[in-house]
Amino acid sequence: MTGFDQLLNGFAVALSWKGLLYCFIGCLWGTVVGVLPGLGPLAGMTLLLPLTFGLDPTIGIIMLTGIFYGAMYGGSTTSILVRIPGEAASVVTCIDGYEMARKGRAGPALMIAAFGSFVGGTVSILGLMFIAPPLAKVMIAIGPSVEVVLILLALSVIAAISAGSRLKTAIMILLGLIVGTVGLDKLTAVPRFTFGNPDLSGGISFAALAIGLFGLSEILLNLEKTEAIKAIQPKLRDLIPRWNDVKDAAPAVGRASVIGFIFGIIPGVSHIVSTFVSYAVEKRFSKHPEEFGKGAIAGVAGPETANNAVTGTAMIPLLALGIPSIPATAVLLSALTIHGVQPGPLLLKDHPEVFWGLVASMYIGNAILLILNLPLVGLFVNLLRIPYAWLVPIILIISIIGVYSVNFSIIDIWIMAISGAIGYMLRKFNYEMAPLLLALVLGDRLEENFRLALTMSGGNYATFADSASIIMLTSVLGLLVMVQALAWAFGYRKSFADTAERV
Amino acid sequence: MTGQTVAAPADAEQSHPDAIRLAPRVARNGEGETAASSFAPAAATARAARWSFSLPFTVSNRRGGIAIALLLVLGGVLTVWQSSLLDVGNVALPGPGFFPLALGALLAVLAAGVAVDCWRAPEGERIALGHRDVLIVIAALFAVPLAFEPLGALPTLGLFGAALLALVARVRIALAVIAAGLGMAVCWYFFQVLLGLQLPAGPLL
Repeated sequence: MTGFDQLLNGFAVALSWKGLLYCFIGCLWGTVVGVLPGLGPLAGMTLLLPLTFGLDPTIGIIMLTGIFYGAMYGGSTTSILVRIPGEAASVVTCIDGYEMARKGRAGPALMIAAFGSFVGGTVSILGLMFIAPPLAKVMIAIGPSVEVVLILLALSVIAAISAGSRLKTAIMILLGLIVGTVGLDKLTAVPRFTFGNPDLSGGISFAALAIGLFGLSEILLNLEKTEAIKAIQPKLRDLIPRWNDVKDAAPAVGRASVIGFIFGIIPGVSHIVSTFVSYAVEKRFSKHPEEFGKGAIAGVAGPETANNAVTGTAMIPLLALGIPSIPATAVLLSALTIHGVQPGPLLLKDHPEVFWGLVASMYIGNAILLILNLPLVGLFVNLLRIPYAWLVPIILIISIIGVYSVNFSIIDIWIMAISGAIGYMLRKFNYEMAPLLLALVLGDRLEENFRLALTMSGGNYATFADSASIIMLTSVLGLLVMVQALAWAFGYRKSFADTAERV
Repeated sequence: MTGQTVAAPADAEQSHPDAIRLAPRVARNGEGETAASSFAPAAATARAARWSFSLPFTVSNRRGGIAIALLLVLGGVLTVWQSSLLDVGNVALPGPGFFPLALGALLAVLAAGVAVDCWRAPEGERIALGHRDVLIVIAALFAVPLAFEPLGALPTLGLFGAALLALVARVRIALAVIAAGLGMAVCWYFFQVLLGLQLPAGPLL
């Protein structure tokens, strides 16, 4: 069966009533969590993760991915109308988006953001379609030593490009790896850190930990804020941008699609970094850089396109290598594993319907979001009028039921509550949670492959540096690290500092 | 999102509507001063100041950073200790204890590095801890697993929802109870009837 036939089969799955319904639910929920400050794509995905257990794996993944890119769309709404980023990847949009809204041009800003998101999302899906299958074929023959190098490099990149203290990021990675060792040892079945509790034999529940560290800690931090949210209400008839807006935004959309596409493959906080880099690039390319910060449409189009262009390419390392590059794809990895589908080089061979169904659903989801977001923007803005404290019990009750339903174990509710409190304290002192979660997901594979590689080589550590594929991989990833470091040094850091002053 | 900070602790205490005072009233309320304070006002004020503790309280980034880093060092040391009880193996053929032992040791070293960094840093911004609503949510969350099976999932979550609506959202108690009851009916229909989820029934159902 050719790739085109498989794509058609994917569309058959995605266009089935179930595929469409769950894609719509995912996009709608994603937009809602993107709009509501304090609930990002990760919290949105982890909250609905348990609901996918009763579904077919492809349908479940379609819904979760819909939440991921839906949140990217929704995040721009609050950035533009309220100057509060709905999620981290929309921070830069606040600068020029809100300035446009203040000048009565919220409509064109929203329209261009939605259109840019659509273009960026579509470009990244094309990348996913064309890069993932050949990459998976190359990676199918890799041994445990190559996998160790890959995972170590991914974790190193996460530490290197962290927005905060690298030392603290490294600590979070180590914590994630340590938490990942809880449960039965994969090679010897020896229980580790279970303290005689059989509920911990399978390890710490990913859903409980992710909801606690991200969702719950975010809710607790938001409860401390007392300021009321005042949103600018756009009118539907004002949505159409002027010709000059289109002329200014079109090149920005093109450049940001490429930036987001490249950054999506790099592990870490690429969806956030890409927006800062895109903003810096647009400012540099602009004929009127002085307009940036005062309502330049390219300052909205660039970052919004870039954060959506990441969504498709971020799937490439997950689906082709089995390595999540950002926390949201770690949730997808967890969901696939729970459904008995192992992401990685064998995914395309063993479960082609999952891969191609997902690709097809992303096209459909992007179109749904474009249709959904513009006419319903007023409705989404009204969500911001609901007092946050009213939403808290609803979100927490869904979380508790969801966490419990994974293993039907009380200990998972304890883990959620404890990790929420710990995550809240750590975030107060600027420790990031994303590296912990990524390390947790990758930890047991790192250890298993590390020990397997040593056993196979008779304890020879040279096995991690002697094959051609490892040298090639190291070089490629080294190059990516360098590109990322340069981008961070010249664009990201500067624009981050600018933004920190403005937002 | 980074930690929430406040400019000055005194301002935060005075202006925050949810500030909880655990200090004796005599320390802050001039009108309500006790007889004891009228006998020896200076001594009472000094004694009260020693006992004074109000929420939310603030801690400097430096001191809080050191405390967190030391807790992480402790976590690393505990991991090393527990891992050493397992078969560690050797460098060439690691056992189940090898990986966590190495990670624990590295965590302790890096966290000690953060502690030293914080020690050298200036006091810096002050971070508010112990917000009333945050404490209520954490306390309510810790109560849920205790009651979830003995009381049943829906009654426990109903009480949890009503408590949060009344105490955090500051809705009238009657309205909170009605809303929680309706919410539980929706949960029962959605999770148990539609999705077929088996939740602990408890003695009431």
